Amino acid sequence: MRPGRVVAAAVCGVGLAGFACASPDTAIDRTEGTGELRGLAVERPFEAPEFALADSRGRRFDFRRETAGSLTLLFFGYTNCPDICPVQMAVLGAALDDLPYADRRQIEVVFVTTDPARDTPDRLRSWLDRFDASFVGLHGELETVNEIQAAFRLPPARIEGASPPPNAGEPYLVGHATPVVAVTGDGVARALYPSGVRQTDWRHDLPLLLRLNRSVSKPGGETGPSGG
Amino acid sequence: MQWWCAAQGIPWDWSWRPYPGVWLFVACLCFAYRAFTRGAAPSRLEVVRFAGGVLILWVALDWPVGALGSGYLASVHMVQFLLIALLAPPLVIAGLPRAALERVRGGRAISLLGLLARPLIALLFFNAIVIATHWPEVVDSLMASQAGSLALDMAWLCGGLIFWWPVVSPVPHRPRFPLGVRICYLIANTVLMTLPYVFLTFAELPFYATYELAPPVGTLSAGEDQRLAGLIMRIGGGTILWTAAGVVFWFWYRSEKDPAG
Repeated sequence: MRPGRVVAAAVCGVGLAGFACASPDTAIDRTEGTGELRGLAVERPFEAPEFALADSRGRRFDFRRETAGSLTLLFFGYTNCPDICPVQMAVLGAALDDLPYADRRQIEVVFVTTDPARDTPDRLRSWLDRFDASFVGLHGELETVNEIQAAFRLPPARIEGASPPPNAGEPYLVGHATPVVAVTGDGVARALYPSGVRQTDWRHDLPLLLRLNRSVSKPGGETGPSGG
Repeated sequence: MQWWCAAQGIPWDWSWRPYPGVWLFVACLCFAYRAFTRGAAPSRLEVVRFAGGVLILWVALDWPVGALGSGYLASVHMVQFLLIALLAPPLVIAGLPRAALERVRGGRAISLLGLLARPLIALLFFNAIVIATHWPEVVDSLMASQAGSLALDMAWLCGGLIFWWPVVSPVPHRPRFPLGVRICYLIANTVLMTLPYVFLTFAELPFYATYELAPPVGTLSAGEDQRLAGLIMRIGGGTILWTAAGVVFWFWYRSEKDPAG
């Protein structure tokens, strides 16, 4: 065989072998074996606030009571959001689909709308159903929602570029915080997942968060903000 | 103003956007053809073939296919690949008149092309390009910029031209690459392209951050979009290559039946 053909064959062979080895997991897994979260661990975990809002079926949802013992992934967004919200929810929904049932039932996803004027309970429900029918949608006055966000150390949501506020039917965007907040079953916020988090990141972190959740939720386990 | 389609991360809407770089590229191809064929009198069929190839390139690179494929949907990105690397090149080559190719024979560029377009090298070169340009890190880093997206499109076009050259071009004439072997060459490529197809279709997770985190278009999830991309590669690529193999077979059959013709 001529040298040119040997080189070409070698290049292609390496390429084929490499493609066979490539996967999203190996592509970005920089923390394998270290047990570290790919999300941003909250440096000083803090207590989630006590609050209650109406869910998409009109029932009162007491956040701390309803999520006690579960790993809760909390997100503030709105259904007309053209980019961040649908992507965060789609990625999260797909990642949760991969979990075994026993793990999946320990996780609660709560979506709080930052656009109560347009996100009616029905719209909230049908939008969330696109990602996962078990996702909880919460609805309240924007002022109340912003107070809750402040308690989670997140910036307030506000209508972008409109002063005075737009008339009914006029399109507008809502600026809002982008991270998903991971709250363990003891009511403590432990980690943040900003936009750009991928399914592979959730697949890496969810077992770690569930393990942490079990350790802080079981009797005698570590509890409260000092629990890590 | 964007000159070339690239991932921007902005929400998709169906309002038209201009990409002057694409128009310039298409215009350059047309002017180059005119200059290259001057004095060689291309037949009407050759002009139609070349124009068809250029039209396919234009469709693949411009709005909406180019814009959707570069930043929103992996499935449309795969359609772009098929158009740029597998459909346009044979038409472009078939549109070059033999007299014009004979005229430049012996030149440095045509010599390099002759070297790269040896069947085995062309086959491996094309598939190396296919694998490299579907590699997640390569796609994610290139699609983020206009220059990167342009480089990826040009890699597909160059790879496609080199792959198709031994099958379609009459120059240089290769008595050692008879029609029957050309059929095997085309079928071999369908086999080699199975590997990326398998990884795209059966991957548990989305490969490309560009498409997984892109603002949504329609109701396809990132995983469904990626599986669709794999199927498009398999079915679309297979259809093009098997159709080409069928055409070559027809020529082969005719030449066997009537050697004088």
